[in-house]
Amino acid sequence: MIIDKLEEQELQIDILNLKKDILSMIYKAQSGHPGGSLSCVNLIYLLYKKIMRVDFNNPKWKDRDIFILSKGHAAPALYAVLAKIGFLKKEALSTLRKFNSPLQGHPVKNNDIGIEISTGSLGMGLSIGVGCALAAKLDKSSKKIYVLLGDGELNEGAIWEAAMAANHYKLDNLIAIIDRNGIQIDGSTEEIMSLEPLSDKWRAFGWKVFEVDGSNIQELLNEFEKAKKGIGKPKVIISYLIKGSDISFMEHTKKYHGRPPNKEEYELAIVELDKIEEKLSKGA
Amino acid sequence: MTEASLRDSFGELLIEHGKINERIVVLDADLSSSTRTYKFAREFPERFFNMGISEQNMAGVAMGLAISGKIPIISGFSIFTTGRAWEFIRMIAHDNLNVKIITTHGGFVGEDGSTHNALEDFSLMSVLPNMQVLVPSDVIELEKMFSFAIENNGPFYLRLPRGAFPILHDDGYKFNIGSPDVLKNGTDVCLIGVGYGSSLALNAAELIEKELKCSVKVINQSTIKPINETNLLNEIASVKGVIIIEEHQDYCGVGSIIAKIIVENILKPIKFVGVKNSFGQSGTRKENLNAHGLTVEGIVKLAKQLLS
Repeated sequence: MIIDKLEEQELQIDILNLKKDILSMIYKAQSGHPGGSLSCVNLIYLLYKKIMRVDFNNPKWKDRDIFILSKGHAAPALYAVLAKIGFLKKEALSTLRKFNSPLQGHPVKNNDIGIEISTGSLGMGLSIGVGCALAAKLDKSSKKIYVLLGDGELNEGAIWEAAMAANHYKLDNLIAIIDRNGIQIDGSTEEIMSLEPLSDKWRAFGWKVFEVDGSNIQELLNEFEKAKKGIGKPKVIISYLIKGSDISFMEHTKKYHGRPPNKEEYELAIVELDKIEEKLSKGA
Repeated sequence: MTEASLRDSFGELLIEHGKINERIVVLDADLSSSTRTYKFAREFPERFFNMGISEQNMAGVAMGLAISGKIPIISGFSIFTTGRAWEFIRMIAHDNLNVKIITTHGGFVGEDGSTHNALEDFSLMSVLPNMQVLVPSDVIELEKMFSFAIENNGPFYLRLPRGAFPILHDDGYKFNIGSPDVLKNGTDVCLIGVGYGSSLALNAAELIEKELKCSVKVINQSTIKPINETNLLNEIASVKGVIIIEEHQDYCGVGSIIAKIIVENILKPIKFVGVKNSFGQSGTRKENLNAHGLTVEGIVKLAKQLLS
């Protein structure tokens, strides 16, 4: 899938605005996970906008592709995208983490607004994806299953049980995407529980591995397309991303993993995003 | 009383229901020969998934199958399935998913010993909102429960033993979820059994009536969750005391659950027959039952205390 410069710029601006939504939601709630939401929102948006077969007018469409946010703490990113695509009203975003809101701190299954399953307890999403992929094979459906994993989450043993099973059952309709931002709650992934050599691990488990600079839209779309087409094996896209992406003081730090911005920080973050947008528009 | 193996019956039920309901898929964690799910595997290989020794993944995969419209039945040994995968099962219950957890080797397993006993599974499953917990007392009840679990949406846990249980019911038995199943009427003491506890209760009732010259009611409370509290309270309203019998830890088991229901409503002496703070050991199942007072004599002794 080749996109022209204009479309790429539009997508970039959309992603910046989604980041503003994420910050505003978390700032209003005064709780949530900005770091890992900002890192992966571009992945979720590109999947919904350009890759997946979904219909916001018919969220329970039988043959829809399935998205599972295994790293459930990035819920604000998912909610922002679902609102942008049309699955839920944008006004709902301001209810994040509030009592009686459908937008709970971590995603809670709600098929009316496109949330397929509850996640947040880490390490479960890939197994769920394997189940969806097996069901799709039984039903002879061409639907694809996308599972977004955090890199810290890969510490969980169940992920590797699922990785083994996906290979065993040759689930080529299953695509895992890893938000490889390198940071988990207590520190860097290599300091806490080293993951490297990560791509070798997945290859050893029988997966087709793609590695991509997650900030490059065209490259991401290319890899998604390749992953979609490959047959005979499950696929994993290791996407190198930045925790707290595009907010200078949130980047590459564990500090904002699960801490909301205060008023000053929030305002500064929005100014920074505005500046990037301005620069992008001028470049066009 | 004639005995029949519940796991053998489970294997047959899988085939019987598998034939008429294509949505049924079966998963096992490398124990299909023990749990008898191999029978389904042989009949419907495309709808059987051996997940290897990975109970957590098995439960997670069942979640994915369930949200895709299948009716996954996951099986294995009771303690590994419910214990190792507990938090996955918590999420099955959280999302009220249509997953049926049907395990064998509940209670004392015998020679395999303490590591393989399942004496904590009632607690683990009953504590979960949405989870429906059923414990068949014989093969006839299993058959009815199995149909009920398949025909009704939502998560179910069915605990079967490794061995055979005496047959307490006839073919006309109607399983009424939640309600106490009165096996024998009586007026002085009520014995409430679960699983094997129900046949023990029935045997003990005879002896108690003879030795203590009193009238004993026997209830098979085969649904642990949800319990129809009104019906249960009505059944025990006039007796002097209650004895609850379960092959499970007596802390946080069925005894605790029923005691809560009783004391919230009426004052009544209650005695508990169950495993007291122990994991059991190797040896025969019978030796383990004897060691923990899960015997006719054990129940009679408590009845004497209750009526003295």
